Amino acid sequence: MIRDDLDIWDRSEMEPRIRHILERTARLRHTGPYRPKTNAEVTAMLTRFFAAHDMTDIVIADVERMSGGASKEQFAFTLSHGAKEAQGERLVLRMDPLEAIAQTCRGREGEIQVAMAGHVPVAPVRWFDADGDLLGQPAVILGFVDGVTQPSDGDGRAVSGMGGHLGSLADRLAPQYVDALAKTHRFDWSRAHLRYFQAPRAHSRQAAIWQVNWWSGVWWDCLVEPVPAITLAERWLRENAPVCDRPVLVHGDLRMGNFLFEEPSGRFTAVLDWELAHIGDYHEDIAWTMQKLFGSWGDDGTFLVSGLLPRNAFIERYQAASGNVIEPERLRYYEILNAYKCAVMDLGQAMRATIAGNNHQEVVLSWLGSAGAVFLSHMIQLIRES
Amino acid sequence: MLPSIDLRIANIIKALEQVVQPALAPRERLARDQVNLCIGHLRMIMEQWRWAVAFEARSLDAMIALADNILPSVEIVWHDELASALDRGWWVDRQDLAAVEKAIVALGGVIDRIILGEDGKYPLTDAVRQAVLDYGEAQAARERAWFAGTGLDPDRAELSSIAAMMDAGVVR
Repeated sequence: MIRDDLDIWDRSEMEPRIRHILERTARLRHTGPYRPKTNAEVTAMLTRFFAAHDMTDIVIADVERMSGGASKEQFAFTLSHGAKEAQGERLVLRMDPLEAIAQTCRGREGEIQVAMAGHVPVAPVRWFDADGDLLGQPAVILGFVDGVTQPSDGDGRAVSGMGGHLGSLADRLAPQYVDALAKTHRFDWSRAHLRYFQAPRAHSRQAAIWQVNWWSGVWWDCLVEPVPAITLAERWLRENAPVCDRPVLVHGDLRMGNFLFEEPSGRFTAVLDWELAHIGDYHEDIAWTMQKLFGSWGDDGTFLVSGLLPRNAFIERYQAASGNVIEPERLRYYEILNAYKCAVMDLGQAMRATIAGNNHQEVVLSWLGSAGAVFLSHMIQLIRES
Repeated sequence: MLPSIDLRIANIIKALEQVVQPALAPRERLARDQVNLCIGHLRMIMEQWRWAVAFEARSLDAMIALADNILPSVEIVWHDELASALDRGWWVDRQDLAAVEKAIVALGGVIDRIILGEDGKYPLTDAVRQAVLDYGEAQAARERAWFAGTGLDPDRAELSSIAAMMDAGVVR
C-alpha cells in the first residue's frame, strides 16, 4: 500500500535536524580557517564545560590527541572529580572542526548511542553538547573503550578503515558484525523517545527522498567543480526512489574501521561512528557495507564484505539474523545512493572543507577525496545495469 | 632547472621519513598518520606534476566533446547557452591551468542544468543520458589512474600508469 503524495523534486523534504546542521555549516563556513586545538585549549574548553555542569572540583589530565576518523577532532583525557575519584576515568572528546567530510550532529550521535546501550556494544556516552553551547564546538564525550579496528600485527596502512585486512580474526568477527547490523535494524526506535531524530513516513518514498535531499543539498552547497555524472545520479535517484514500508534504525556507516574488537579474542567492544545514523530503509546499511572500497580480498581472491565474509554468505546470514528479506532491486537503488553519497562527501564536502582550510586534517580529506572517482565508476556501472 | 622539482620533492620525503617521523613520540598518532599521508601525497605529486596542465586540458576537451555530443538533443531553452559555452571552451588557452579550470566549471554548470531539466520539468533524453554516462565513465577512469598512488582503488591493478594514460591520450 502506498501512502504517498510526495513531490520527488521538493528539496525542502528533509529531516529537520539535518536541515539545521546543513544550514549551520553554510552559515559558519566563512568564520574559518580552522586551527587544530592544542592540548591546553582542550583542557580549558573542558574545564569551562564541566564548570557549567557544576563540576568544579575536577582535574583534567593526560590529554592526548587521537588519530582515526576523517571527520571529528578527537582527544583522550582523564577526568577526576572530587577526592574520592583520585584515579579518574579515561574519556574521549569527539568534537566538530568547522567542516569535515560529513557534517553531522553530535546530539544525534550521543542520543542514539545512549539508546543502543544494552542492544549492541557501544561506547558509554557521558555528555554531549549538540550545538556547542558550552564547549564552543559541538561535541560528544564518551567513555574510553579498549580495542583495535585492525589487527595490530597488520600493516596498519588503512586510512579511515579503508584498505585494511582483518586476517585470521575475520571468522570470529563476522558473526558479531552481522548480529550488530541485525540488532540495529530490529531496534524499536519508536519507543526510544529520540529528540534529535524524526522518522520518514512508512509506505512512502520519503525515506529515500530525505536521503537524496540531504546529500544533494550538500553537493550543491559545496560545489567546487561540476560532475555531470553526480547530477545525473541525483535525477535517477529521485525518479527511481523506492517506497519504504517499515523504516528502521540505520547505522549509516557500519563497515571495516568502525568497530572495535579485543585481541586476541576478537570480541566486539564497540560499534563506532553513529554520526550518520537515521531512520530509513535497512537496504541502505546492507548496500553501504558491501561497497568495494570498504571491503578486502581473501587469499583466494574472493571479495569479502567489510573484510569479513563473501557477499552471498553475508546476505544469507543477515537475512537469517534479522528476519529481513533483501530485495535485489531495492538493494541496487541503495548501492547507487551510497556511491552517490560517498562521491558527494569526497568530491564535494571534503573538497570544500579543504579549500576553506576548515578542518584539522586537510591532508586526510584530500587523500580520501581522491577516491571520489572510484565511487563514480561504481555508481555509473550500477546506473547502466539498472 | 637546478635543483629540479623532482629532486626537491625527494629531499622533502627523505627528511620526513628519516628525521621527522622518528622524532615523533609513539603517542603522537595523529601527527605520525599525517606525516605518512604527506609522504604519500608527495610521492603522487612527483608522478603527477609534469602532467598536471595536460591532464586538466584533456578534462576540458572531454567535457567539450560531451557538450558537442548532446547539443543536438538538448531542449531549445538551453541550446544557445550550451552552444555559446562550448564556443568559449574551444578558445581557452590549454596551457593556462586557471583558465582551463574556469572553463570546466562554466561548461559543466550548463550541462548540470540540462541534466536537472529545471528539476524534472523537462525530460532527460536517452541520448543525453547515454552521453553523460559514457563521458562520466571515461573521466572517472582517468581520475582513478591519476590517483592510483593512494592505493585506495580496489581495482587498481586494472589501471594504466599516468604516463601510459597521458601518452595514449585516451583512457585506459
